[in-house]
Amino acid sequence: MTNSYTVKGHSFLVGQAFVGRGLMRMRRLPSLMLPTIVMPIFFVVAFSGSFASVVALEGYGTDKAVNWMTAWAVLQGAAFSGLGGGGLTATDIENGFFDRLRTAPINPSVLLTGLVGYSICRAVIPTTAVLIVSFCFLGAEMPGGGLGFIMVYISAIGMAAFMSFFVLGIVFIFKSIKSLAIAQIVMFSTMFLSVGQAPLEAIEGWLNGVAEVNPISHVIRMCRQGFLGEVTWQQTQPGLIAMLCLIAGTAIWARICYRKVDI
Amino acid sequence: MVRQPQSWAPSLFFPLLLAAVYSSQFSKAVNLPDFPYPDISFLDFILPACVIQGVLFGSTNSATDLAGDIENSFMDRLLSSPVSRPSILVARLASAFVYGLFQATILITIFYIFGADLAGGVPSALALMFITSLLSMAVGSFLIAVALRTGSQEVVNSLFPLIFVFIFISSAFFPVELMEGWYGAIAKWNPLTWVIDWTRGLTVEGFSWANFIKAVGIVTAIAVIGVTIAIGQLKKRLAAAS
Repeated sequence: MTNSYTVKGHSFLVGQAFVGRGLMRMRRLPSLMLPTIVMPIFFVVAFSGSFASVVALEGYGTDKAVNWMTAWAVLQGAAFSGLGGGGLTATDIENGFFDRLRTAPINPSVLLTGLVGYSICRAVIPTTAVLIVSFCFLGAEMPGGGLGFIMVYISAIGMAAFMSFFVLGIVFIFKSIKSLAIAQIVMFSTMFLSVGQAPLEAIEGWLNGVAEVNPISHVIRMCRQGFLGEVTWQQTQPGLIAMLCLIAGTAIWARICYRKVDI
Repeated sequence: MVRQPQSWAPSLFFPLLLAAVYSSQFSKAVNLPDFPYPDISFLDFILPACVIQGVLFGSTNSATDLAGDIENSFMDRLLSSPVSRPSILVARLASAFVYGLFQATILITIFYIFGADLAGGVPSALALMFITSLLSMAVGSFLIAVALRTGSQEVVNSLFPLIFVFIFISSAFFPVELMEGWYGAIAKWNPLTWVIDWTRGLTVEGFSWANFIKAVGIVTAIAVIGVTIAIGQLKKRLAAAS
């Protein structure tokens, strides 16, 4: 019992150390965080401004574009934050520090969890920044109240977690910081091929079918529901299921790819 | 370009992705009251903007290469050889123009295959290719000036989001008439809006010399400012090197 407790305690401390290391890097290199904060803020301002009139079309359920676009910008920011753990690992692989980590008595799952934990902590910053800009300067509303805000943070944390696992997998395969570009392309594509910017009712053609089956659409709906009305279990449940499946799937993917670092 | 497809592929991929997504997501937007072109598809509406977007994304390449030459000291070797000094700048500007032409040709061809309708036919397509290539050179000249000033690829690349901002705060993806408040006001005075609107006139309404001359005029004005700044920076670098 004591042994098991000690191993668990050790794993927790190692995971915590990884999160702490990432946060320290953020403090030392604030320029790393700048795009992660600035881009989602720009997204909410640009998309709310550019597409201000589209909410008059069927299916948006709000008369303010900012209510529709805030959730989209929050999740974009969270997805960008998910690159954080991958970026840190790619740098470690390139400068050889990752080899030293692998020779240390660390459970790979703890290492991965620590890196994802760092990405999750990063995601809270752009999420809060986007909410401040949306509510203080763009006139966003939250009829869903406190529960609506909770849904926003849960979705952002989930998005950062599975994007982080996914990016780690890519980095383990290519072992280069340049591979982040591939992750970004996949990330952008999956986000755009969803109900991020328009509801299913407004989308026509092939994209309608793709957005309907895209699991990220469910996460976006869960995140957005508080901006459009009351928070309901009917909207939350599919989002939670999609999010947990994505986290589980990408975690397995990252763990499998971890073995490729040696090859 | 042949050796490093990863340097130009994203600048083709993102405009095509946005065109594919927006033409489905906002296809019903043409039914909104006050939409300036209610009889066309949304793909036709965003076609010139997507071509301009792709070309502008690609316009960073020439400046990044120049900054790379400065970083790895190839520029110093170039300056120690009997190479005509203006040719260093002219070659980079010409490269931006040709690169823009290459991208515009590919993008217009793909859009045409996927059902985009150019009202003015071949003259409009050629006009669009010329204007966007010139714009690539014009914006490229500003970035070349930054490359000459800083000699850093990282700084040149960090200006990429600025291009993104200029494109989105314009009439690229939605008409300015339907934008609200301060955002609409900024978009209205963004020079890129004028270029896009006049170019859109060529592709949606048909070829007209008036729209062509106005679009070329504004892009030439941007190019003159950019090239003047770039010449100034080249002179400073040459003075520092001698």
